Amino acid sequence: MKKKVFSRFTMILFVIGLMTAIQFNTINEPDSRDTRDVWEIRQELSREKQLHSELLSEIGTIDETLEKYKESESDSPEQALQETVETLRKEAGLTELTGPGLRIVIEPSPEAVATGQNIEQISPALLIRFVNEINRFNAIDLAIDGKRLINTSPIRDINGRTTVNGEPIGTPPLEMTIVAGTFENAEKLYNHLNASPILDNFYIDNLSVDVKRPQKKITIEAYNEELELDHLKAAEGE
Amino acid sequence: MWLSILGLILGVSLGLLTDIRIPPEYANYLSIAVLAALDTLFGGIRAHLQQVYDDKVFVSGFFFNIMLAAGLAFLGVHLGVDLYLAAIFAFGVRLFQNIAVIRRILLNKWTEKKEIRESV
Repeated sequence: MKKKVFSRFTMILFVIGLMTAIQFNTINEPDSRDTRDVWEIRQELSREKQLHSELLSEIGTIDETLEKYKESESDSPEQALQETVETLRKEAGLTELTGPGLRIVIEPSPEAVATGQNIEQISPALLIRFVNEINRFNAIDLAIDGKRLINTSPIRDINGRTTVNGEPIGTPPLEMTIVAGTFENAEKLYNHLNASPILDNFYIDNLSVDVKRPQKKITIEAYNEELELDHLKAAEGE
Repeated sequence: MWLSILGLILGVSLGLLTDIRIPPEYANYLSIAVLAALDTLFGGIRAHLQQVYDDKVFVSGFFFNIMLAAGLAFLGVHLGVDLYLAAIFAFGVRLFQNIAVIRRILLNKWTEKKEIRESV
């Protein structure tokens, strides 16, 4: 009798366990389903491809450096190191840079001048947007009102004034200088900016943007402050 | 008793390992079915402890309760009234009552045993 009772209980408990587990499985659906359509996946793919090619070119330059080190191992390793430091400084924006590029002048719009409106400083939000628009192009170096923009440069509002690298920029008119690496690149940037809808956003703030024609030789200033890299750590070698 | 627990473990592991899923809209029914099954189980344990256990009542109660609960839930979905709450309420109350009775019986047994041991 007792045995029979327990065999029944076992059966029922088995069913309960099974149902609970199935319920558990059902409630814990997979985290998120991939609902991207073909187009989004293509975009993702193209992003990854771009990253791939960037990484490849980086590998190329590093290989070149390695080659150089090997070559100069016998005669002067110091020279090679110096060169590397110089390239890195150039990349980080710590040196003055000259090359093909263009100038952009941001000035009060004629309408605002004619109606005698107050000319306000360009807002950080707009400036950031504009810089991002320019940064769509690779290998771009730029300075805003003589302040060199590097990877860690902040553009923000400090006490009501728009600052770049912590230094206030002037009220318009002010000038941005861009070095675009190659002349073709500069021309592309020129065309892109002239067709870009972002210029309309400046008009709302009573500003107009004059993108000057690309020039063969544009010089932008070096970054002239201390680089603060307190929170960076050396990557672990493999 | 250990056999029963083994059954539970077997059921859970089978369910988890096979990774069976039911459509989410049926999850309600399953949760009620689990509740009904638990209710029957505790009712059965209570009956067993009270020496009134009947095999037929137990097994038929298990399936009947589950079907009734699922049926109520189904009806509720189609009528737009949350009838499954009634099932949850009924089963919930019974579950607590049964467990309370089981606890009392076990406590009684324990104290009786203790008294007997002390008197000896």
